[in-house]
Amino acid sequence: MDLSLETRHEDGRTIIEVGGEIDVYTAPRLRDKITELVGEGSYNLVIDMQKVDFLDSTGLGVLVGGMKKVRAHDGSMQLICNQERLLKIFRITGLAKVFAIHDSQADALAEH
Amino acid sequence: MSAGTAITGTGVTVSIARDPALVRTVRLVAAAVARRTGQDEEFVEEIRLAVGEACALLIGEEPDGADSPVTVAIHLSDRISVEVVSQSPAGVEGPPHGDVDGVERWALLRGLVEDFRVEQAGPTTTVSMSWLIS
Repeated sequence: MDLSLETRHEDGRTIIEVGGEIDVYTAPRLRDKITELVGEGSYNLVIDMQKVDFLDSTGLGVLVGGMKKVRAHDGSMQLICNQERLLKIFRITGLAKVFAIHDSQADALAEH
Repeated sequence: MSAGTAITGTGVTVSIARDPALVRTVRLVAAAVARRTGQDEEFVEEIRLAVGEACALLIGEEPDGADSPVTVAIHLSDRISVEVVSQSPAGVEGPPHGDVDGVERWALLRGLVEDFRVEQAGPTTTVSMSWLIS
C-alpha cells in the first residue's frame, strides 16, 4: 500500500492522518508535508499513525526531524499509535521515550 | 501439502536496482518466503521488517551514483537466513547520517534481530541475519 496523507486543523493543532507504508521510498513525502506545515506556521502537530501498516528507520528519521523542526519554534509533536508492531519499533530504537505516543486522537488532543 | 507445513531446504535470491521504490517488492518476497516456515504472522512481520530495513539502509533514499544492484538471498533450513549484499559502502562504523535523522543507523536491526551482523570488505557491505525456525 502506498502512503496516504490527510491534514486537518483542530483545537489549535494540525493533525496529519497517515496511512499505508512509511519507508525509504515514501518517507520523503511525509517529510515534505511536515516541512510545508511548519513553513505555514503550524508548530503543533499530531501525527496519527493508526492506519500505518509499515514503518522503517527512514520513517523514524522523518518523525525525529519533524519534532526538531517544531521544537525550534517552541512547538510540539505528538504521535497516535496503537499497533503493537509499530510500538515495538519505537521501543527498540529508544524513541518511545522521546515521543509522546497516544492511543487515540482524543487522548492526544486532551493533552495541553 | 497442508497449509502451515514448514518447508526447508529452499530459498530465493532477488537482485534489485538501487531504487527505493523496489524495496517494497523485496519485503513482499521476504514475507512470502517466511510464511513457508509455518511460523506465526508475528514472525513473518519481523522478517518483513528486517529485510526491508536492511535494503533501505543499503540503498538509501537518493541514488548514490552506484549502478550495482543490491542482492537479497533468503534460505530456509533449520533457520531462515538472509544475506543482503551491496557493492557500495554503507557506513558500517560511521556516525548516523542521511535520513535516519537522530536514529542510530543500525539500531533497529540490532534490537530486532538476535543474530545480526553487518560487515564491510572493500566496497562490499553485507548484512547477515538469521532466525531459528521452531
